[in-house]
Parts: sequence; C-alpha cells; structure tokens
Amino acid sequence: MATRKKNLSASSPAGWTYLAFGALFGYFLSKSRATDYDAIIAMFQWKEFQLYGVIGTAVAVIALGLFLFEKIGISTRSGEPLELEKASWEPTRLFGAFVLGVGWALAGTCPGTSLAQLGEGKVMAFFTVLGILGGVWVFKKYGPKFAGKEDVC
Amino acid sequence: MNPPPTPFNFQVFLDHVLSLLFAQTWAWWAAGLGLGLTALGLAWMTGRKLGVTGGFEDAIATQDPSFSSSPDRWKLWFILGIPLGAVLANAGHLGWTFLYGRLDGLVFGSFLLKAFWLLGAGVLIGFGARWAGGCPSSNTILGVSLGSKMSILATLGFLAAGMIVVNFLYKVF
Repeated sequence: MATRKKNLSASSPAGWTYLAFGALFGYFLSKSRATDYDAIIAMFQWKEFQLYGVIGTAVAVIALGLFLFEKIGISTRSGEPLELEKASWEPTRLFGAFVLGVGWALAGTCPGTSLAQLGEGKVMAFFTVLGILGGVWVFKKYGPKFAGKEDVC
Repeated sequence: MNPPPTPFNFQVFLDHVLSLLFAQTWAWWAAGLGLGLTALGLAWMTGRKLGVTGGFEDAIATQDPSFSSSPDRWKLWFILGIPLGAVLANAGHLGWTFLYGRLDGLVFGSFLLKAFWLLGAGVLIGFGARWAGGCPSSNTILGVSLGSKMSILATLGFLAAGMIVVNFLYKVF
C-alpha cells in the first residue's frame, strides 16, 4: 500500500460519476419495490418472496463478480487493487442492528429507499429523511464510540 | 384454446418496453441483478464500497464541521443521485402522493400522526444504521456479499427486529 503506483493522468473520479451510480442504485431500488411500504411489511411477514429474491440476487451477483474480478486479476479502472474492506467485528453493533430493524419495520424504508421514495413523489418520505439526518446526528454526538474503523458505511 | 397468433406490432412492443423502463416494477431477479451490477460497477470504476448512510453524514458535514466527510464527499454525490434514478424509474407516471400504503390505516389516515410516525422511525433508522456500522445497503447487500461476519450478524439483527415489530403491529392492530 505504501508504494502504490500512481497514475498521474488518472485523477479521482468526478462527482458526476458518483451521482450517476447513485441514480442507477435509486432506479433499481425503485424497480425492486423496496420503496413500497406494503412490500417491506410483506417481507417481514414472510408473505412475499420478492425482496428476499432481490437481496439474494444482488448478493450473489456481487459475490460472483468480485470472485471473477479476483480470478481474472481485474483491478479498478485507475489500476489500483480492488480491495473492499470488511466491517470490523464489534458484536455490540447488533444492538444498533435491532434499532435499525425496528425503524425499518415502522417506516417500511431504509436510508437508501427513503431517498428513492422522494424521487417517486412520496411526500411522506421527507419526514423519514429528516428523521434519519437527526438520528445520524444524535448518534455521532451521543452514541457509543468504536475503537475499530469508524467509516464502514 | 390458444388465441390466434397476432402479427408483430412494433407500437405494442415499444409501449411494453417503455412501460417496463419508466413505469412498472420488476421481477426480483431483474431488480436484484441491476442492484448487484451497480455495486460491481461502482467498485470497478471508483474502488468504493456501496453505502448510503455515510452520505447522510456528508450532508450534515456541510453544515456542522465536527462531522467528518468522505473523500471528495463522494457519498453525498451518490445519495443525491438516488432520487434522480427513482424519478427516471417512474417517469411514465410521475406525481406527488401523501399516501403511504397500509400505514395509512394504522394512523387512521391522519397526516400529522403519519408525519411524526415516520420522523420517529427515521431517527431510529439513522441512529441504528450508524450504530450497526451500516444500513441495509452497505451491510445486507455489500457486506454479506463480501462474506463479512459483522455484516451477516447485523443483517440477522435487522430482519429479526423487523419481523417482531411488524408481526406485533399487524396482529394486534
């Protein structure tokens, strides 16, 4: 890592690159019905396979893709090794997962889909997004601190 | 009993494609494939890990300097793209709605109650996502596909809590 070869002509990707990938993500989230409160409720009630299928397919595609990248020796476009870091093991994060799960069930949406809902014209998502901003702020100020890598998301 | 074969009609075909692209929702495998390829494309083009909640932190960092932002604020760019993509996915039938599915029944159709319900749930989502080290995008989709033990545990936590709450809500009320 210390002597990573820098390609001088390849600067870091521009903002619009990330904007475009965000748009793709929002497009497919909307197509998947993950932005639909009723679909989330049906998922938690085990009444619909839809969202389990969506998550399962996405996970399988990414795992297979990364495996192939490694097998063939594909690096990132700018030539750097493709290493996606795993989240560090902090079992108490499970409590946070419970809190998020409760919120996910109550609002029928997670951070990504709440933004997609705004694009779909669901006005109520504005309140969810506002709440998420508040929750992120409160956690930073008053939540537990972790010694491990903070930036996992 | 088969209907007589209809000749290929380009207009019908085009309408069908446009409806698929800009109006309808998709089968699980098609949407899942799209989400997976998006994450792979992001990793290949930029070397970044898909994630959403970090973008909320970036958004706060623009106002509160005590928050650290991601390199180039890329996560803020990313989450600003999400609503744009959702607009495109529904470009064929855009419009505002205050309706919110079955939740409308739970809150007796009250706008105010629904707003506070979602605001409160949002706080739990934001707080929990940071505590859990990631939201369903970064943990459940990306983290699990990396085989991360932490992400798998967090995902089981999301699902367990969600199932308990939903089954309680819709059995009791």
